[in-house]
Amino acid sequence: MTFYRHEMRMNRRNLLIWTACVGGMCMGCILLYASLADSVQNIASSFSDMGAMSAALGMDKMSIATLRGYYATEIAMLHGLGGAMFAALLGTGLLAKEESGHTAEFLYTLPVDRGWIVLQKYLALLSCILILNVVCVALYLLGFVLLGERMDAGELLRYHTAAILMQIEIGTICFAISAFVRRSAAGAGLGITVVLFAADIMCRIIPAIEGAKYLTPFYYANAADIFADGGLNAGPTAVGALITAACLAAAWIWYGRKDLR
Amino acid sequence: MGTQSSEPAILISGLTKNYGKHRGVKNLSLRVERGDIFGFLGPNGAGKSTTIRCLLGLVGFQEGSAAVLGMDAERQRKALLRSVGYMPSEAMFYPAMRVREVIRLAADMRGMDCRKEAQMLCERLMVDPDKRIEELSLGNRKKVSIVCAMQHCPQLFIFDEPTSGLDPLMQAEFFKLILEYNSRGVTCFLSSHVLPEIRKYCRHAAIIRDGSVVCTDTVENLTRTRAKHIRMLRDGKEEDFLYKGNLDALFAGFAGHHIEDITIEEPELEEIFMQYYTETEERQ
Repeated sequence: MTFYRHEMRMNRRNLLIWTACVGGMCMGCILLYASLADSVQNIASSFSDMGAMSAALGMDKMSIATLRGYYATEIAMLHGLGGAMFAALLGTGLLAKEESGHTAEFLYTLPVDRGWIVLQKYLALLSCILILNVVCVALYLLGFVLLGERMDAGELLRYHTAAILMQIEIGTICFAISAFVRRSAAGAGLGITVVLFAADIMCRIIPAIEGAKYLTPFYYANAADIFADGGLNAGPTAVGALITAACLAAAWIWYGRKDLR
Repeated sequence: MGTQSSEPAILISGLTKNYGKHRGVKNLSLRVERGDIFGFLGPNGAGKSTTIRCLLGLVGFQEGSAAVLGMDAERQRKALLRSVGYMPSEAMFYPAMRVREVIRLAADMRGMDCRKEAQMLCERLMVDPDKRIEELSLGNRKKVSIVCAMQHCPQLFIFDEPTSGLDPLMQAEFFKLILEYNSRGVTCFLSSHVLPEIRKYCRHAAIIRDGSVVCTDTVENLTRTRAKHIRMLRDGKEEDFLYKGNLDALFAGFAGHHIEDITIEEPELEEIFMQYYTETEERQ
């Protein structure tokens, strides 16, 4: 696990910054709920009556007048998007940075299998995503305690499991991109994240493109759906798992045969 | 693992590597015996680095075969790399890491404890292990690369333009180390375009041009060809050229000329090398 430890050390600063940003921002929004509660009560009914837009944001199922609804529609969106952007940035750089930083000649002339390096880098990606989510959830729980509110542990666990799966899927797609390019494709990673996020909103508004729900991981990691329906949407989640596995396999196979410069 | 000592240190046969439409190396063959210090000469872009990358499995190749210490470069890459110390021409590491961490990482990835050898190398090359990589000049990064390549005492060194960026004192120390390891049986494959260091330290050398080896021989034989370096003052005009051919014919050509002074010497390796890189016709 030498290289795994090395990779974790290389990424610890980014992990710290992103965890502080995502966790701090969402925890701040949770703490803001106390001062927003009264004013939100007044606008909650109008928010739930905006037709397709309410459906897109999950406000037709959850009322933002409650902390549960506020969390599912606002906090979860911030957390999901922030975590996905972190996973995308991390994923796009992991393999490509060895060639762009000219360290490939140092690393890949050591007696280790390329496939083993790929797997250890992927393990580092999974660990970083997991650490970010665990620390963020701990901060949110602290926020609930400071607010003097309680949340259903089962609902939180189900949503955050889905959020982790979603971030892993986006991270793995970007990891596969990283195997094919020679320079960090951070822009492409962020672009893909935004497109997938937009696809989730669009497929909830436009019936003709409802099938897009199988392509975007934001669909199965929608907190309002999970809180309202009591579980993950099995079809899109299974497709997401297949996409994740296919991208990992593509990265492993391609990078193992690639000419490194 | 097929590491019998009878196998040559490097054996390349008919190696062809193209990068898309661009030529890498073309039908290149080369043999380096164990215990040798072998110079691989050629200008930038001739195919030296491509040959090394094929040997180390960094890039695949279309045709031919390459073996290091009896191990196939494609199928036994991991085992092969255990016995090789490689120093790339660029010597790049992770900028935020300290020198000691990089050296330790290289040793740990080999599953070896190389602290004693690494300390000795750091002291001799005057490497500060507490500095961060991003603080180092090219020369100092090269020194770190030398430590990483030598600390595990491999059977074969492959150095790609090792002395660029090193000051003369460190160049001398580097070659002193090479000679010491070589006296213990370590083979050294030195890719370079610096001819004096090849002439001074290598026993055999190959010259590569446009992706193919054009000449392989002992450095001694390479400098003792039939070619002669002629310097003369003919009809009041100074002339300086490399002559390859029958000396009778050369002297016959002097008939009717006034030769005031003439010296005939063995050519320098530089001149032999340049012969392969110029298309100028032999002067009669």
